[in-house]
Amino acid sequence: MKEDHLTLYGETFSSRFLLGTALYESPQQMCDAVAAARCEIITLGLRRQNPAAGDGERFWQLIQQTGCRLLPNTAGCKSVKEAVNLAQMSRELFSTEWIKLEVIGDDYNLQPDPFALVEASRELIGQGFKVLPYCTDDLILCQRLREAGCEVLMPWGAPIGTGRGLLNRYALKTLRERFDCPVIIDAGIGAPSQACEAMEMGFDAVLLNTAVAKAQNPVLMAASFANALVAGRQAYRAGLMQARQTASPSTPTIGQPFWHQNK
Amino acid sequence: MTQQNPQTQDPPYPGARIGIAGGGLLGTLMAWQLAERGYRVTIFEAGSAERNLSAAHTAAGMLAPISEAAAAEPCVYTLGLHGIERWHQWLEQLGEGAKHCIHNKGSLLVAHPQDESELDQFMLDSRTLRGQPHARIEPLDGGDIQSLEPDLNPQLRRGIFLSPEAHLDNRQILARLDARLAALDVERIYNTQVVPRAKQILDTQSQTARPFCLVIDCRGAGARHCLHNLRGVRGETLHLETTEVSLSRPVRLMHPRYQLYVVPKPGNRYVIGATQIESEDLAPITLQSSLELSSAVYTLSPAFAEARILEAGVNLRPAFASNFPQLQCEPGLLRLNGLFRHGYLLAPALVDCALAQITGESESPHKRYFIEPKQALSLSRASV
Repeated sequence: MKEDHLTLYGETFSSRFLLGTALYESPQQMCDAVAAARCEIITLGLRRQNPAAGDGERFWQLIQQTGCRLLPNTAGCKSVKEAVNLAQMSRELFSTEWIKLEVIGDDYNLQPDPFALVEASRELIGQGFKVLPYCTDDLILCQRLREAGCEVLMPWGAPIGTGRGLLNRYALKTLRERFDCPVIIDAGIGAPSQACEAMEMGFDAVLLNTAVAKAQNPVLMAASFANALVAGRQAYRAGLMQARQTASPSTPTIGQPFWHQNK
Repeated sequence: MTQQNPQTQDPPYPGARIGIAGGGLLGTLMAWQLAERGYRVTIFEAGSAERNLSAAHTAAGMLAPISEAAAAEPCVYTLGLHGIERWHQWLEQLGEGAKHCIHNKGSLLVAHPQDESELDQFMLDSRTLRGQPHARIEPLDGGDIQSLEPDLNPQLRRGIFLSPEAHLDNRQILARLDARLAALDVERIYNTQVVPRAKQILDTQSQTARPFCLVIDCRGAGARHCLHNLRGVRGETLHLETTEVSLSRPVRLMHPRYQLYVVPKPGNRYVIGATQIESEDLAPITLQSSLELSSAVYTLSPAFAEARILEAGVNLRPAFASNFPQLQCEPGLLRLNGLFRHGYLLAPALVDCALAQITGESESPHKRYFIEPKQALSLSRASV
């Protein structure tokens, strides 16, 4: 079987697990979880860190020591302007054109604002960014994002931090069928079984944070998710059997000596 | 001699000169304890006598071993219990009136109805602490909350009571400590940036070095340019004054993205805290943070709307990568740092450990946590 790599904006990765760096007990625990997750891409938020003043440098150094590719995000931004400004700051600070674009429409469930998201994507792609948009599972929104030039889509499984898994399998399945580009399930995953299911459905990768950071043992949970993602991906590549209504014995009974049956 | 106290080589004898860099909580406590034992102590402080640079001044002074341990290492509980006990002893020593600066009334966690799952998460996070000696983690309903704190918003229907948890009138304690240092003839040099070295302290402006028998580095976030892995974590607080709300214990509001607390202070004052931002920026509080803090406190009790904002504090919590404090020893130099958000809670255990190291009096039972933090943390995880 040929090698199975994840390709995002021309870069290839062997891991399909993208991990967030917020909410850990300590930077040390975060680094240990990243190592256990065997991930190659980690996301990080700049907002409120005032990078312009060179602040938070120690924390960035710790993050950079993980050796992972950094995917800065625009978490917490509520307008196109805010998101674009933060993306520019992140590009300067981390020397990367990659940006996980978040434009939040609702303060409470952090649901993406689809209208502002499309506008910000257009603007940033025009400025040379490689945009990975955090979006809902709406088909038309995803089409507009593709038209804007996004080469990757990142629909939610459920709202950020809820841990509710894949809430709308029908919509997600539609996205998978309709788009050839990499589609990453971002947010809402609470358990490794849910991440595994996303991979079985053929999604290219999973991005999460809270499910690992808020576990009783985040390092062990990171390893568990890594395993679940591998299992799900292998299952997808192997091809799942079709579920059937009637039982079908896996061992044929024809030819079995009949006196064994009434024992 | 070296056997008893290998790290500092010649153990300084009472009467010996000890230089302390940093006049915050750790520097002040170390100076006090050493001066009481007969050492001649000099403190160098980069800020003024008002400690405006010190996190000890900005902090809310909570002693919350259960809530802190739930969000960190389980050993924080053991070390925190030691902290509460030690503060009682220390305040007795500080003379008449000081013992009223600690309030042992437990603390309250509450959540608004839409965020009640945060309380379930806390019950899960504190699971390992429930079997610990003295620990009380009790779910409350709306009626229980009202009977403990009648001024809280009656819409709060669920909460958790935690004991033993306490809070300190930290600024009053710092003032009493200062008075005691003066009485003990501790020399205090303010507005002076220094570099602590083995057996000498260098004044960076005049480039003069003063020799000491032993030097103790207690500079907190001020040492982050010299200490590998030490960083500052920005925290912001509001100090309010109101006679319309009366709370007798710290209240923490659990929310998916913020954990904010209100701590009562003498004179109808309240400290609202604290944001936790991975930044070493010391610029004034942002509008966003003040909105978060003030809207949270407003939802706890709408009567806070009329409170006066007396201060908006900003400071850096000193933290190592593990967010756990360390005691680093080399000949002629001790460094105590990294108290992070556990300043008043863990300072006693760290100070006792450093004192044992200096005087050779008796081995601290907590040494393993601070001197080899990595190894100790894995031990504590296994044992709790």
